[in-house]
Amino acid sequence: MTVEERELRWAEAVRAERSGKTVAYERMLKEVATALRRSLAPRVVRAGLGAHEVEDLVQEILIGLHGKRHTWDSTRPFLPWLHAITRYKLIDFARHRRRETRRRVDLPLEDWLEIVEPPADKANHSMAEVDRHLAVLPVSQRKIVRAIAVEGESVRDVALGFATSEGAVRVTIHRAIRRLLGAAERTSTIEAAPRNEHDKHR
Amino acid sequence: MTSTDDLIRCLSSAAGAPRSASLHAALAVTIAASLACALLLVFSVIGIRQDFAEMALRMPFWFKLAYTGALVFGTSVVALYAATPGASATALYALAPAVFFLALGVTFDPTGFPIMGRTNTAVAFCLSSILFLSLPAMILTFVFMRRGAPTQPFFAGAIGGMLSASIGAMAYTLACKNDGTAFVATWYTAAWVIMAAIGAGVGYRVLRW
Repeated sequence: MTVEERELRWAEAVRAERSGKTVAYERMLKEVATALRRSLAPRVVRAGLGAHEVEDLVQEILIGLHGKRHTWDSTRPFLPWLHAITRYKLIDFARHRRRETRRRVDLPLEDWLEIVEPPADKANHSMAEVDRHLAVLPVSQRKIVRAIAVEGESVRDVALGFATSEGAVRVTIHRAIRRLLGAAERTSTIEAAPRNEHDKHR
Repeated sequence: MTSTDDLIRCLSSAAGAPRSASLHAALAVTIAASLACALLLVFSVIGIRQDFAEMALRMPFWFKLAYTGALVFGTSVVALYAATPGASATALYALAPAVFFLALGVTFDPTGFPIMGRTNTAVAFCLSSILFLSLPAMILTFVFMRRGAPTQPFFAGAIGGMLSASIGAMAYTLACKNDGTAFVATWYTAAWVIMAAIGAGVGYRVLRW
């Protein structure tokens, strides 16, 4: 199809849309989508975006074309109008994606501190972390978990030290673990949710 | 069937829906409503000149009216250009009459009034009045721009600001007490430039679609 034929065909289809001819308009949108998909794919890749984003862009352009079709003056050529919309949407799309990328690869202060923090501090830090996590346990469970998991005593020694049976110690540990897991799940849904969102995009 | 095909079917089912008015009609309504709002503010807040009847017959008033009229004409043609994708840039020539009056006013001032106005506060009063009178026009102009499809939001916003300043200045001619054409050409234009800058900043944010 030459440019002139395409101009006539698409302009005619948009005029037909104005009198309610759904079929002609739908066919024209399909043709536009096909043409855009083919020509925009290399551009989108060159802009550093994934090839799978072409379809999103094509949809954006179709929505723009449809939403702003009243701004086309039917006495003027259609293709320059469509070109201006396509170009605007392409640039806007790339701008949006660039902004998202910047947010995704951003280095917030906390992460930077993690990088520059000396490793010695790191150990203390993790001990403090452990204490903070264990704080969700009742006092008796906390003592037993600390003795076994942190200080590394055996179940038998702990049972002797606390004047109770080995079985009771195992049950306590079991309950403590369940409680810790529950707490970890709760905090991860609150704190780490945005991070998971990031990982999904990587 | 991809999601794009679904989208196309959804969009085309809206074919033949009652069309929104053409941009020409929308712009005409916008300008008329903006001018009406600005005039209302002149009458109610600033007040027209005491010697209005006498002033309306003399040259300075006609110069103000011609200059602001040329601005309204030029910026509205350019606004239509900015709101229409793929429009011809020859629309920019519509600003030529305004530039002509501007040059005329600055270089051949027959009145001999000082360029800074008759009082110390004349410039500040003139600028702030025009900015104030442009506010309703600013809102209406941006509503118009959003109906259109500006493909350069920064430029479209600046033009929107210019159009509203032109309308504000046109309404202000009824109240302006300074008759020097150099004063008018300089300070009306300064208000126009300020509104263009504000419009560009706003447009860059709100005129994306």
